Amino acid sequence: MSRNAGSDVKAAYLFIAPAIIGFTVFVVYPLIRSFYLSLTRYNGLTDPVFVGLGNFRRLFTVDPAFWPSLRATGYLVLLYVPLSLVLGLALAMFCNQRFAGVRLVRTLAYLPVVLPAIATITLWKFIMNPQVGLLNTILERLHLPTSLWLQSPAMSMPSVVLVMLWGVGGTMIIFLAALQAVPTELYEAARVDGAGSASVFFRITLPMISPIMLLQVILQTTAALQTFNQPKILTNGGPGFSTNVLMLSIYNNGFPNLGRIPQLGYASAQVWVLFILIIAVIALTAKFTSLWTYSDNTPD
Amino acid sequence: MTTLPTEAAAPVVPVTEPPAPRPPKKPRLIGTTAWYATALFICAVMVVPLLWMITIGLKSRTAVFDIPPKLLPTEWTWSNFVNGPEAIHFPRLLLNSTVITALSVLGGVLTAMMAGYALARLRFPGRKLWFYLFVGSMLLPGVVGLIPLFQLYKNIGWYDTWLPLIVPAFLGGNPLFIFLARQYFLAIPYSIDEAAKIDGAGHFRIFTQVMLPLTRPAWITMAILAFQASWNDFLNPLVYLYSSEKWPLSVGMASFISAFAGQTPDWSYYMATNLLYMLPPLIVFFAAQRYFIQGLGALGSTNQK
Repeated sequence: MSRNAGSDVKAAYLFIAPAIIGFTVFVVYPLIRSFYLSLTRYNGLTDPVFVGLGNFRRLFTVDPAFWPSLRATGYLVLLYVPLSLVLGLALAMFCNQRFAGVRLVRTLAYLPVVLPAIATITLWKFIMNPQVGLLNTILERLHLPTSLWLQSPAMSMPSVVLVMLWGVGGTMIIFLAALQAVPTELYEAARVDGAGSASVFFRITLPMISPIMLLQVILQTTAALQTFNQPKILTNGGPGFSTNVLMLSIYNNGFPNLGRIPQLGYASAQVWVLFILIIAVIALTAKFTSLWTYSDNTPD
Repeated sequence: MTTLPTEAAAPVVPVTEPPAPRPPKKPRLIGTTAWYATALFICAVMVVPLLWMITIGLKSRTAVFDIPPKLLPTEWTWSNFVNGPEAIHFPRLLLNSTVITALSVLGGVLTAMMAGYALARLRFPGRKLWFYLFVGSMLLPGVVGLIPLFQLYKNIGWYDTWLPLIVPAFLGGNPLFIFLARQYFLAIPYSIDEAAKIDGAGHFRIFTQVMLPLTRPAWITMAILAFQASWNDFLNPLVYLYSSEKWPLSVGMASFISAFAGQTPDWSYYMATNLLYMLPPLIVFFAAQRYFIQGLGALGSTNQK
């Protein structure tokens, strides 16, 4: 048996070796290196110069673009995450009913998620064109007020979020799986007791799917904090700094247009600000978990 | 009456739920009408932008900018589907995307399955530790790696090659896949390994000839997710690839619409090409729909152990 166990260990490390190498090179190394770089001035050509917390001081006290980028990121998260969760859940509950054709609705609602992000984002950039875009064309035909959408400083971020919400089918599918896992006896018992649909939703549905809801809050917030494609392609941060989210700012500092000097140390400091924000979100959500999620008390 | 057209379309999709009959209660006509009105609205929101994209793709280059805009093209310009792709060297970009995606799917699925097999079915010291490290690394935002890895690739001469887009996949790639693979391997009865071992099979043979066929749904799901991730990836190729002849479709398509030196992008060309760019993921989706749903269901339940 011991001989067998020995061969198990050797085989195991052979099977797992690629993942361990990958973990070291793509997780451990960048984590340490990026923390070090955040404390340096570094242009990618000459050696990094250690500057202590200088980058962070510059971020928080000098850089006129940093606070707007933090504000834009916060605005995006606060607008997108609640809307995505509410719409996703509503759509899931809608598609969880028994009607002929419900599968078609489900498939179509999920369709935008399948399409390449770049393809749908660029499509929406044209849909939101104020002069010839589909959105204003439809609004005009219905005699509703039109908008400059991405070109207006006030509407640019809501427009970006609107484009992101077109992919709400992704949230829907996950909530749909969660809804279908709720035991039907609970609903039957509630019906026997004469519970109204509101109390069924708040006392059965919501508590039963709360673990998935929690996971979605964490995943969607961390993903939203790292939004890059939509603002990059739709607005490139404009107009003004209205959609210049943190990721875009990191990209522009670290990988600027030709002719400008990359500020890799400075961009690394921004990465760490983002990273700490993400950790804070996860920690806070986890802290409040026990307050509002349902658990069936199976410790393991 | 309103139910008829959708009724006919429904059975195309594979059946996944028990065909429980609708409760034959009082006729909820108002409820039904409201449901179908909402359903129609949802479908319109999802489909109309795509239909509109196709009509733009069929309009002539100037008709796109007609004011007021017309919904349908007055003259149908099918040549956009030839000239548009030609304008951005679509065939080359398609080839690039295909090679990058195929290799990263292969690498990502293979190495995640291997790691999942070891973590789930082999006993070795450190097995719990590695599992937690891999799962924990799911929380690490990708952006943390961007700058150090960019410099690393530059130093070893990988900048402006496809290697940064492919090699990471062969090194465990996505920790989520390792997690999914492990969960799937845990569900397979151990008596199967025992039987294979008695027959004299080594771990390599058990893995390739016993486990891979048994875990087909798991690796198909992963392959689809990996395909989507690689086909859609924009930031990594944008950062790591400089020469336009090495770009995948995502970067090529995005550069198509950024106006160079005040030039207006050719929207009708663009939309025609965009349709072609969307086709492969669409085909994969409709061919493997149930794996999509399965995979995402697995994602949804990741916190349930």
